Amino acid sequence: MSYIRLDNVSIEFPIYQGSSRSLKKALIATSTRGNLARDGLDRVMVRALSNLNFELQSGDRLALIGPNGAGKTTLLKTLAGIYEPTQGRFHSVGKVSSLLNTQVGLNTDATGRENIILRGMFMGMHPKEMHRLAPEIAEFTELGEYLDMPVRTYSAGMMVRLAFAISTCVAPEILLMDEWLSVGDAQFLEKAQRRIEGFVLGSNILVLASHSFDLVEQWCNRAILLHHGKIAMMGTVKDVIAGYRELIEYGSLEHRVELGEPAMQHDADAA
Amino acid sequence: MALAWRDLVDGLRRSWLWTSLAQQDIKLRYRGSLLGPFWQTLTTAAMITGMGVIYSHLFHTRTQDYLPLLTLGLIVWTFLSGLLTEGCNTFTSVQGIIQEIKLPFSVHAYRLVYRNILILAHNFIIVPIVLLIFPRPIVWWEALSIVPAFALIAINGLWISMLLGMISARFRDVPPIVLSAVQVVFFLTPVMWPVEALGRNAWWGQFNPFFAAIDVIRAPLLGNPVQPYSWPILLGVTILGGGSAFLLFTQFRHRLAFWV
Repeated sequence: MSYIRLDNVSIEFPIYQGSSRSLKKALIATSTRGNLARDGLDRVMVRALSNLNFELQSGDRLALIGPNGAGKTTLLKTLAGIYEPTQGRFHSVGKVSSLLNTQVGLNTDATGRENIILRGMFMGMHPKEMHRLAPEIAEFTELGEYLDMPVRTYSAGMMVRLAFAISTCVAPEILLMDEWLSVGDAQFLEKAQRRIEGFVLGSNILVLASHSFDLVEQWCNRAILLHHGKIAMMGTVKDVIAGYRELIEYGSLEHRVELGEPAMQHDADAA
Repeated sequence: MALAWRDLVDGLRRSWLWTSLAQQDIKLRYRGSLLGPFWQTLTTAAMITGMGVIYSHLFHTRTQDYLPLLTLGLIVWTFLSGLLTEGCNTFTSVQGIIQEIKLPFSVHAYRLVYRNILILAHNFIIVPIVLLIFPRPIVWWEALSIVPAFALIAINGLWISMLLGMISARFRDVPPIVLSAVQVVFFLTPVMWPVEALGRNAWWGQFNPFFAAIDVIRAPLLGNPVQPYSWPILLGVTILGGGSAFLLFTQFRHRLAFWV
């Protein structure tokens, strides 16, 4: 039984760049207070997600749709427990497996086989267990002899195969995926879909961020449209895709939903 | 507070993760080389031989007296400086992992300390060899005190890598500052020379925590008495440093994912 619930979740984080990365400038800024604080710490606060409310239950396959920078990846990271909400409450039950980036846990100097064990360990699996699962994973990737070569020689599609096969080797209760999956070829996508369907039938949750409407329509049964870090729309995949097209065309859904304040704000008097 | 503590405990429980990661770090570093990690041993041995011969002349001491002192000093120092300089990258070097998978943050610190312990172990092979060639009047039951001494230094390594790792993730000019500081400290600390060489200014060495860490290992293995302040200083640094690192971690643990 898996479950996700967001109550009024907001994520706000400072972007540190240039001089705000510097300790010296921060020290000068705090010791002289006044004007220098503004020069020393030119932090920009980004409100990546604001006041999100929704609930997911077993069997839900949610699509996250939205233009670049809408907050899809931030939301996935929040669901994975990587980012803690700065406001609101986030509650989830179930073992999470996230496929946000193909590189992670993949040491590019190590071979494909070594990386199976490595990424598995990062996911919380004991090496013994991974050694037991390795042959099955190797077979699913169809990479054959390439598995004994360093991962740095792999193409993007091969990386996807490897990462997907490892992350789904044990049916996760909650699977979070970012859009990179579309790098895989058609035959592999089909195979991946069969596997995902397999464990969604076993009452699990899938959250997929994607720009590929075909993929979303095939895989998901609910959708959220994110815009400037807010939920602009929630509903069936078909409706939300239509909403997204409208959003692109008119620049907003204001004639349908209230959107409120802009997502970016400058915060000069930082702590 | 509870969450920060749980992070440390959960991290410790995943020992199979950080021990194998650390082993792999070392394996990959020397992949394809004939001697593997024993290159480390060889490099240190070559350095000690060269420096031992030349510096014993410079300091007008006998090689058989100087070489054991230099060996132990340099090996412990390599361990300490490794912890300090790599400690700055505890979290920034694993940015991708932090951004992708929810793991206890402490896992990265344990990995770093364990990796440096493995390097230390490879270097330490030299110690019995040097002590066989140049025997010292070692009291064996006293020499056993190096076991708790190393344990205490490792605990210090843990808070150092957590603390410096956090600060460096937030302020990117900290790693180069630490790097230069470590180099300066090396010349100010009795690593290559005995603390007695300071004469009346021996306090300078005695109250130096870096020297304290070297002394609790080196003195018993040379058959010398440990300086009276070494253990208290080391214990004090552990408590103070560990405490402040823990407080900072409780404060900023939830921001760390945004910093890296």
